[in-house]
Amino acid sequence: MPPILEVRDLTVRFAGGTALERVSFTIEKEEIIAVIGPNGSGKTTLLKAILGLVPFQGEIRVFAKPIRQVLAQVGYVPQRFAFDSTFPLTVEEFISLTCRSPEKLPVGGVLDEVGMDEFKGKLIGELSGGQLQRVLLAHALLHRPRILFLDEATSGIDIEGLSDFYSTIQRLNREHGVTIMMVSHEISMVYKFTDRIICLNRDLISHGETRTALTKEVLKKLYGDSADLKNHNHG
Amino acid sequence: MVELLQLPFMQRALIAGLVLGVLLAYLGIFVTLRKMAFFSDGVAHAALAGAAIGLLTRFSPLVSALIFSMLLACLIYWLEKKSSLSSDAIIGILFTSGMALGIVLISLRKGYQPELIGYLFGNILAIRRQDLALIVVLAILIMAFIISHKRKLTLLALDREMAYMAGINPDLYQLLLYVMLACALVLGIRVLGVILVSAILIIPVSTARLFSRSFKALTLWTAVIAESVMIGGLLLSYYLNLPSGAVIVLTGTTVFSLAFLAQAKRRHLGQKKRD
Repeated sequence: MPPILEVRDLTVRFAGGTALERVSFTIEKEEIIAVIGPNGSGKTTLLKAILGLVPFQGEIRVFAKPIRQVLAQVGYVPQRFAFDSTFPLTVEEFISLTCRSPEKLPVGGVLDEVGMDEFKGKLIGELSGGQLQRVLLAHALLHRPRILFLDEATSGIDIEGLSDFYSTIQRLNREHGVTIMMVSHEISMVYKFTDRIICLNRDLISHGETRTALTKEVLKKLYGDSADLKNHNHG
Repeated sequence: MVELLQLPFMQRALIAGLVLGVLLAYLGIFVTLRKMAFFSDGVAHAALAGAAIGLLTRFSPLVSALIFSMLLACLIYWLEKKSSLSSDAIIGILFTSGMALGIVLISLRKGYQPELIGYLFGNILAIRRQDLALIVVLAILIMAFIISHKRKLTLLALDREMAYMAGINPDLYQLLLYVMLACALVLGIRVLGVILVSAILIIPVSTARLFSRSFKALTLWTAVIAESVMIGGLLLSYYLNLPSGAVIVLTGTTVFSLAFLAQAKRRHLGQKKRD
């Protein structure tokens, strides 16, 4: 069986310098993978390169194919959704905007999956940060993706909502077999909810099962002396 | 009123007003969402050069303006992709250069130039039968395309990355939107002129946004407001014997101002109730 995701010698350069340098890893199983690293370490760039949103050198294969050929099987929740918040678009209308109709799930179903069914008539500009992230997640799930990429999807969610969000992610993986790759800063949540980690700081620091790869030494290498497995949090 | 509607020039003006009103206002939804108001204004102004080429060569000014503005839209798209200049700078340079070229070309014709005033400020009452046919056919084609690709265009206007993830080719649809917008603006120049045509793109949708609570409602209200403003302004301009383009725009501004004040009052009352 071909790997779900294969990244080989990935290098991304921007005008200002190198964002990623010869990064290689393979995802074989339907797991939850966290990408961690300090600010500016290339986490978002890694996701964008995999999705074909930025030019890169090296080779990336998703389900053994170039990403453009398998986009219908891929979901993505961006870090920021910089839309005009005064635009009158309801949650239901926003979810319905996506265009691949044949295999899509009912709008109510995906909203229910992320606990947002009762908000479908509300304007997206009136949602809180956490609610908006859940709606973006629902939007990404509409076409039953086999792999889901989340870029700091919990950045607008309060502490109480964090655990719920991670539980939803875990359920999607365990019950629906969706491979999930997420950029995160919540190290304690990563430790609790993910199966595998990729530690980045422009190049690959470590890669492996979360419980064994997420050591104090790795955290120190990434975040310096202040790193703490129990209470490290972005905010 | 019945007599007025029997006049052929008024019939042509009403048909052109209704068709262009809904087309431009509908495009205005994407223009405001994608913050393309300057692009619209720029292409409309630069289209004067295209119309001037038509006048000088005795070719149809409307057709030459259409070709010129669509090429200009492609040039703006290409420069945005290939140069390090900002979109505003590119449009600003092309907009002023196009308009200046139009004025120079028109001034090459000897004697009084009534066409210049017509293209600058529009003259809906002077629309000829062949112009109307072209306006109706092109407007129907553009509307058909927009309606059949509404979801893709909306997603692109909301977020480029999201559009790409939904399997849309963002570059292709961006270019198509530019070209269709340029084409619609030139058609609108016959009614409102290069200086005022952007108003019908912006005013109806901005008014509808004040009170719409869904995209569906926004679309419906934008069309209703655009048609009311077009017809109301046209009739007012006829009875008041004032320039049609300017009266249509001022009618739109009045409707927007009333809606704005009504919304401000409703907010104030709502706030008072909560306090």
